[in-house]
Order: sequence, then structure tokens, then C-alpha cells
Amino acid sequence: MAYSDKVVDHFNNPRNMGSFKKDDADVGTGMVGAPECGDVMKLQIKVQNDTIVDAKFKTFGCGSAIASSSLATEWLKGKTIEEAQKIKNTDIVQELNLPPVKIHCSVLAEDAIKAALADYQKKTDGQPTGTK
Amino acid sequence: MVCSPCPFLLMDQHTPQPERARGLQMARSMCWHCQSEVTGEYFCDRCVKVQPVSKETDYFTCFGVPRRLLLDPQKLETKFYELSRSFHPDFYQTKSPAEQTISLSNAAVLNTAYRTLRDPIQRAEYLLALETGSVKDIRTSPPADLFEEILELQDTLEEYRASDRDSDQGHRLRATLQTEQEALERRKHAMEAQLQQLFADWDQLQDAGEATSLARVERDRILKQMRDLLSHRTYINNIVNDLAATIS
Repeated sequence: MAYSDKVVDHFNNPRNMGSFKKDDADVGTGMVGAPECGDVMKLQIKVQNDTIVDAKFKTFGCGSAIASSSLATEWLKGKTIEEAQKIKNTDIVQELNLPPVKIHCSVLAEDAIKAALADYQKKTDGQPTGTK
Repeated sequence: MVCSPCPFLLMDQHTPQPERARGLQMARSMCWHCQSEVTGEYFCDRCVKVQPVSKETDYFTCFGVPRRLLLDPQKLETKFYELSRSFHPDFYQTKSPAEQTISLSNAAVLNTAYRTLRDPIQRAEYLLALETGSVKDIRTSPPADLFEEILELQDTLEEYRASDRDSDQGHRLRATLQTEQEALERRKHAMEAQLQQLFADWDQLQDAGEATSLARVERDRILKQMRDLLSHRTYINNIVNDLAATIS
């Protein structure tokens, strides 16, 4: 099976690889894994005024999993929390042209986004954000 | 068209049925050829035509063994050869195209079934899928510590890949990775021992065949722990393979 050009590009030049301090108040961390294939994904967001100003990831897994998380961090930057909630795995599948056997990689990326957002929201829970 | 009722409905999975295995009614269905009732395993009693394995038939049923996790590999192999012979294309050369197609697709199902049941880990994964529906239904809480560890190791691996292997730093990183690999392998073996115990627990519970609420709690405990261990083992297995491939 051949990977699409976009997957290869993200795999060879992963965007936003790295990590933030997970204890920082403005950082949300999502750590997910796929027990079926053993892939592990960590995705982090840095939030200011309800907007994601930066995102980073670390992924141990196949090319599609790396590409999916790399793409996810690109998309997250500049989005509000609310907009970020709307990112769907099907968007990733479409953008990267993932074959059916690799759809679970995009699901993993969506799970990672959701987990990072939830982690951030848990941290800020109870603290007035000023907006809304 | 063969109209076969789902064998799951026909089998009482909670009653032990050890030695009935051979005469197991796999799909009490109608013969596609002579329309008489089929009660044998893969062949019609009356016209002796080969019968297709129903899609709903699970692999344990295919082999006529109960849903247990500590299966005797020798018996499994014997049964596999026996069934392989009965579906072998050589014996169907002079038969009708319908029979050729059925025997061929039966052989394919049989091969997949054997590959799955032969390996204790795959067997357990398969049983979990059967018993709990989709594996994702009992998605386990992600082992965050293990993930951190894996990603950290991943960094060290990258560092090693980028380093000059003959330099002091290369030697040092290699030694670190080797120690990590050994530690992870020990953990993997410990997990496998735990799994083995759970397999025995499962079989014992099935053999007891009680339908009490206590038995149900025990069943869920075994399945949940098995799910956790199997996925943790997959994560560790992946990183161990990666380590082994890099530093060998």
C-alpha cells in the first residue's frame, strides 16, 4: 500500500513536533493510544484567551498516525476552543487521503484533540475566563 | 440460497460441552443441494455434498472446540489437517463448480481460523471480540505513565539514530537503550504470565458453567483485565521491536 504524497510530506517534515510543560496552566495535554495497533499519540495545545496559540505533538506509530497528528496540530493553531471541538477524523481522512485500513489513525488524532481540550478545560474549570 | 439460523442462537455458550465437540451441530441448516437437514459438521448426511461455513460461525465452532483459552495445540493441529484434507482442491477437481467454490472458501476460512486460534494472544483477542462485541466497546483507560515512558524512549532512540554510533555518546545511548529493552522484555513476560493465569480463570469459569450474578461479575473482571493486559502488551511489544531493530 502506498501512502499519499501528503502523508509522506507530513511524515518526512512533521510540523510542530515536541512538547510543552504539561503542568502549565495554559497547556492542555491529550495522551491516547490504539490498543489494536499499539500506536501512542501525545497532543498538546497552548491556549490564550480561548484561542489555541500553539500546538505540539509526539507520536509513536506508523506514518499515517504521525501525519494525522502533525496535520491536527497545524489545524489547531489559531482556532478557538469551540472551533477545535469541531475537527472530525473524517476531515483528516479526506485531507490525507487515508485508505480504509488507516482510518483508525485519524480517529486516534481526533481522540487526542478531544483529550487535550478536555484536559485544558478541566484545568480552567471554575476559573472565570472573562469571555462569554 | 442456504437459509441457516445463526449458530450463536442454537448454542448454549454457558453450558460446558467438552466431548460433544466432534458432533457439534455447526449450522443446523438445509443442504443447498438436496434440501435435507444438515446436522453433520461440513457435509450433508444424505447427499454428502460439502456445506459452506456460515458467516456467523465463529472460529471455535469451526474447529469444534469449546470457547476456551488454554486449547491443546496438538489437538488443534490435528483437527486443522483433518479439515484441510476434506476441503482440499484435489478432491474437488471432478466435482461441480458450486462444490469447488464452497470447498475453496471453506479452506480460506479454515486457514484464518487456524492462524487465529493457534496463537494464544490472537486467540484471546478473538475471544474478547466475540464476548464483548467490538473491542472498542471496552476501551481501556489509557496507561498515561506507560505512554510517557514510550515517548521518552522514542526520544532517546531518535538521539541514538542521529548520533555517531562509534562515539562515546553513541556507546552510552546504546547501553541505555539495551537496559531499557531488557527491562521492557521482563515486563512483557510478567504480563504474559498474568495473562496465562487469566486464561486459566476464564476456562475454569466456563467449565463451572454457573449463571449466577457472581459468575457474571467474575466474567467481566476477567475480560476487562485481559483487555487491559493485551493492549499494554501490544504497546510494549511495539517499542521492544523498535528498540531491537535499532540497536541490533
